[in-house]
Amino acid sequence: MGEQAISRQRVYERTPALRRWLFVHKWSSLVCTLFLLLICITGLPLVLRDEIDGLLDDALPYAQVAEGTPNVSLDRVVEASRKMYPGETIISVFVDDDEPKIMVFMASSWEAFKANRRAIHSIRFDAHTGDVLKQTKPFGEDGLTFLQLMLSLHRDLFAGLAGELFLGAMALLFIAAIVSGIAIYGPFMRKLDFGTVRAARSRRLKWLDLHNLLGVVTLGWALVVGATGVINELSTPLFALWQQTDVRAMLAPLQGRPVPQTSELSSPQAAYDTVKAAFPDMTTTSVVYPGAPFGSPFHYVVWTKGREPLTSRLFSPVLVDARSGALVAAVTMPWYLRALELSRPLHFGDYGGMPLKIIWVLLDLVTIVVLGSGVYLWFVRSRASRAQAESAAAMPLASPGAAE
Amino acid sequence: MSGRRTLALIWRWPSLLAALSIFGLLSALLGQTGFWLPLSWIALATPLAVAAICIGRGRA
Repeated sequence: MGEQAISRQRVYERTPALRRWLFVHKWSSLVCTLFLLLICITGLPLVLRDEIDGLLDDALPYAQVAEGTPNVSLDRVVEASRKMYPGETIISVFVDDDEPKIMVFMASSWEAFKANRRAIHSIRFDAHTGDVLKQTKPFGEDGLTFLQLMLSLHRDLFAGLAGELFLGAMALLFIAAIVSGIAIYGPFMRKLDFGTVRAARSRRLKWLDLHNLLGVVTLGWALVVGATGVINELSTPLFALWQQTDVRAMLAPLQGRPVPQTSELSSPQAAYDTVKAAFPDMTTTSVVYPGAPFGSPFHYVVWTKGREPLTSRLFSPVLVDARSGALVAAVTMPWYLRALELSRPLHFGDYGGMPLKIIWVLLDLVTIVVLGSGVYLWFVRSRASRAQAESAAAMPLASPGAAE
Repeated sequence: MSGRRTLALIWRWPSLLAALSIFGLLSALLGQTGFWLPLSWIALATPLAVAAICIGRGRA
């Protein structure tokens, strides 16, 4: 009887379908809200990570050089790195196309790197002079930087793959909350104009209207950022899948051959130049050394990207024989890695200049308000319906519909 | 505030804003030059502006 009285108070009909959607909305949101709040809050500084990085960067400045000064040879940079860290393994060399810098990534050994991907450290060279500008220690050994802390809380909660999959699942629940929110928005708004905010009547009504308004105007953005967040969290398994299928098939003919030793390796600069000459329309970005987990034991993997706005987001690997230096093949990327590459900018918001980043921050803040108001509404509603149920139970003789 | 609204009416503004958001997200990604970038900023800022106007109206 109490139940009946409560449902009759509502302005909308609680059809079975609507009840189901309300149930989905309530529980998908409640389960994911705490983590989503963490993701939204840590996401704020991450949107501006380039700016914060630049501000906090303590590297030596780039040398002033004449226009057209060529880059130093990668061979020289690699040799300098080996001299600085004798006995260590070079993981990859990255050539920036934006700033005059070359990054060399090293680890104590491939085994150590495979056991812990964060056991990697880097040396930043001035691309024009070959001078060392900055060195980092392996992740966490020097204490975490602010952005590393934010990124870990945002992406994996310091739990590696398990954390990535867990937060990916939370993002899926967030999408379920948005979809169910869409389904219940219509019935809720049957008697209200779009954008109505009943500020004067009660605090609950005001926040209900704000929750609905802010949720519905940001739903397009939130769906895209949520869905691309899920895809980004799947990057480790997607790259592993590619390694197990396409890459393995390509390397199958070489199975069992001796892996090249460090002393046998051909010049990384030559590998870089070979790829650059073979693909003049592409920008060559990095050389990954043979033995890398997402790579080949026999080849340098030279990564290239396009030059158009869209294609500059799409990376293609080219294999170069690590002994002879001969170009072997360009590897085609499967659709799921292309989707992953496209979902990066759509998640990070870093592809449309500073105004886009500011809009991203504002939309993120609005999402925080939607999440917070959702928890508030649940709390107030559950308290109210408990109180109502108790008072109805205390008056068993009240006639049906008395609460109306 | 009276009378029942059709779904088409209820979703007129929200679907327009969602379409604008998606357009804004894609135009900056696919265009990235000339007027596509400012167009993207305007499209993505519109939902925020609409929300701000509604909230301002509710307060008045």
